[in-house]
Amino acid sequence: MGNKNQDDYIKFNFDVSAYRLLGRELITDRITALFEIVKNSYDANSNVVSISFIDPNPKSEDSKIIIKDDGLGMTFNDLKNRWMVIGTSSKRRERTSPEPYNRKVVGKKGIGRFAVDLLGSKLTLKTKKKGSDQWIYLETDWSVYQRLEAEQLTIPFEEEKEFFTDIKNRYWFEDGEKDEQGTILKIEKVNNDWTEYDISRATKELSKLVSPNAKLTKYPFSIRIHSPFPNYQNVTIKPLSIIDYATKSIKLSFDKQQKLQEIVIHDKGELKKTNVPRRKFGLVDFTLYYFDQTAKRKFKREFNLDIDGIKIYRDGIITTPFAEHEANQLKQKDILGIDKRRYSGFFDKINSRDLLGFIELSDEENPNLIETTNRQDFLNNEEWKELKLFVIEQIEQIEKCLKYEREHVRETTKSDLTKADSGLKSIKKNLSAITKSASPEIKKQLRTVEADLNKLQGTVNKSIKDYAKLEQDSKQKESLFFSLVSLQTYASMFSHMTKHTIGHIIRDAEYFKNHFPNDKLVDRFKSISKRIFGEMNTLRQGIDFMLKYAQSDDNIEDINVQELLQNLFGNIYSELFKREGIETSVEIDKKLELRYNRKALEDIFDNLISNSIKALRGVSNKKIKCSGVVSNDKLTLYFSDNGIGILEEDKYRIFDIFFTRTAEEGGAGIGLYMVKTRIEAMNGSIEVVENEFKPNGATFEIVLPFEK
Amino acid sequence: MDINIVVIDDNQKMQEDSLIWSLEDRFGKGNVHFFLTPKDGLVFIKENLQKNIIVLLDINFPEDQIDGHKALEEITGMSKLIPVILWSAIDENKEKFSDFINNHAFGFISKTATIEEAIQIIDKAVKFLEFSIDNVIEDWIIDKNEDKDKPVYITSDGSSYSLNDILREIRQQSEVGKEFTKKFNELTIDLIIRNKENLNE
Repeated sequence: MGNKNQDDYIKFNFDVSAYRLLGRELITDRITALFEIVKNSYDANSNVVSISFIDPNPKSEDSKIIIKDDGLGMTFNDLKNRWMVIGTSSKRRERTSPEPYNRKVVGKKGIGRFAVDLLGSKLTLKTKKKGSDQWIYLETDWSVYQRLEAEQLTIPFEEEKEFFTDIKNRYWFEDGEKDEQGTILKIEKVNNDWTEYDISRATKELSKLVSPNAKLTKYPFSIRIHSPFPNYQNVTIKPLSIIDYATKSIKLSFDKQQKLQEIVIHDKGELKKTNVPRRKFGLVDFTLYYFDQTAKRKFKREFNLDIDGIKIYRDGIITTPFAEHEANQLKQKDILGIDKRRYSGFFDKINSRDLLGFIELSDEENPNLIETTNRQDFLNNEEWKELKLFVIEQIEQIEKCLKYEREHVRETTKSDLTKADSGLKSIKKNLSAITKSASPEIKKQLRTVEADLNKLQGTVNKSIKDYAKLEQDSKQKESLFFSLVSLQTYASMFSHMTKHTIGHIIRDAEYFKNHFPNDKLVDRFKSISKRIFGEMNTLRQGIDFMLKYAQSDDNIEDINVQELLQNLFGNIYSELFKREGIETSVEIDKKLELRYNRKALEDIFDNLISNSIKALRGVSNKKIKCSGVVSNDKLTLYFSDNGIGILEEDKYRIFDIFFTRTAEEGGAGIGLYMVKTRIEAMNGSIEVVENEFKPNGATFEIVLPFEK
Repeated sequence: MDINIVVIDDNQKMQEDSLIWSLEDRFGKGNVHFFLTPKDGLVFIKENLQKNIIVLLDINFPEDQIDGHKALEEITGMSKLIPVILWSAIDENKEKFSDFINNHAFGFISKTATIEEAIQIIDKAVKFLEFSIDNVIEDWIIDKNEDKDKPVYITSDGSSYSLNDILREIRQQSEVGKEFTKKFNELTIDLIIRNKENLNE
């Protein structure tokens, strides 16, 4: 190496609180520290960053961690005016790295240097820009800063103490080749041992920085690990091969020429790929893995990593809202809204603990998906909303598939047991035929075989009974669970609703008390009385609903669906329909009897009808139509009106409790919630589908399964 | 002193609430402004920084909008002179204290509060506005109109400001405005300590 030709000092330009705030309190563990340092290398247009652990375990005077990149490096001026100073103006932060890489910057500016402190207390930084013929060296002893920090916080305060800005950091220059560039951090006085286990963890966590399918990237970025451990002597960090462990995997791509996006759709237990036109957010690659309990255990055992949801990458590197390592799973952000979904059934919902996924954006295809400046989220524009919707839709396809499989397994077990039973019967028949013609000796032996067979048949029969009972039990448990969960949601929403309602009433009554009589305020008094009446009504509906919950559902009977509907449409509501001028039609293609609670079924249609009536206010040529198709094991009903329809954005929340767009007409937001819970308790489903009456209106599709 | 009340609440019903009427009775019908989305409310506040504003801010908003916590942060970011009162059905104790500590929420009114309870807190906010430096300057100008355009403050780069200019800068929360507020307070303390001024006079 060249000669030391200069010896001088520079000082950090920040105070103790910045040191504490930026360093210690943002970077709490070693892995995060490595994460931050590596991100800085990426931002400096490095192609390769290598992390070498020298003498890592047990730590000694000779232990070192050397992090070396081939990025742009720093000039002395950069070092003095950037590295040693904490940037304050957010405007100065560049959003992309220099030409020609133009990488979206991922590091938190100013954090990397404090990350070093967590790894070891002595740092020698060596850096050089291309074209310069000297490497710059800078030595920092973080332990001096730590000591000073401790001192500054002790009394007496008045005493003259050294400031952070007084500490001298030695720097010098050494000769180098003009073509060389990069930054090398040599960290000594290492704080902790790095066992093989620690290094394997670091490797796996760092692997999350780089996308598993970084094929599109023009300027790839790779991370290497060097250590004395045989398994980590010279490892290039590669994304994990998760596919071997996942229960289900989806790999979606796109066709750039045709502008087609691949998606999957569930069809009888299979996830089938199909192409749809490019969505608003642009074309993306999307890989999604689902893990069931067994697969999760296996995965954890193999990788010692948590399954932590879907992450978004851009041009091969993780986007900033996902770029912070968060050791505590509970604190991880759910920016895609996967765990917020309330409208999905309790048992069929999968959450981010069951999913690993990678969405691959590119600057070219998805220019309008933009990370917010605070790096915690994406800008909430149409494109981002659409992307979230897309992700949720695909998760729902997996959910449907899983539900189908569960039901299928149940069916197969049942039919296998029945087969075993009839198999045994036919063996017994054959056996008795043989016994008739057998010698007494053999007869005797065959009798024991027969006795054994009888026992076996007894066991099989008992299994069939047990299985049926088990099924019954689990159904009961499921419905109990379901009602508890929805009751919990209900209780919290109910108290929210009562607070609003009581607030309105109490202030109205107060206003009336304070101002009545007053001729000028007659209009207001009228409004007040009308409103108190309305609010009390809402309260009453809420309480009625709660009472309905309390009633047991044990009156199960055979119900003729056709008759029930005809009775509702032709008798009970006919007066109302006439008065409102609504034309109705009921079409069910076959006679069908369902075994269920009559009140519950009536409730469903009661609510759908009153919902439609509200939607039809002010519409001419009012129509309500209910049609049904009976297939092998399910009844599919379509309930349509030509009313005002449902806004696209309301499609999912329309079933949420206390969600209403008809507050003016006395809607409390309970009806459709009730419809959904009732239908789900019958193991059925309801969703909003394309409206039958064009151009306006709404159509609900209700599927009710039954046993023949 | 004219005071503008800005109510941001996604509940349409609230627009006709007796509390709103009471506020209109008290502060004038044209001075109570109701907004259904934080976005619209923020736009109004931004365009009316020169006015005296008290904000009544709901916390829960539909998912596609920013919530009250974020809206509070943005208002505080615009001006520290605006008292923002949170107004929610959520239990106060469960609210994030960061709203009070970091973003200086002025107070909290429950959705079940009576008009009287609500007005008590709003009155406190009115007092806060009356005693704020910009209003003291405004009172001075109204009282002694001849002082309005006298240059009274000269910055290090040589720009000079009259009381009127300063008032505008403070309300816009510009750098100059904030700087003046700070210096003004320092000066007052300095004067008191050196017995140059007797506040009891």
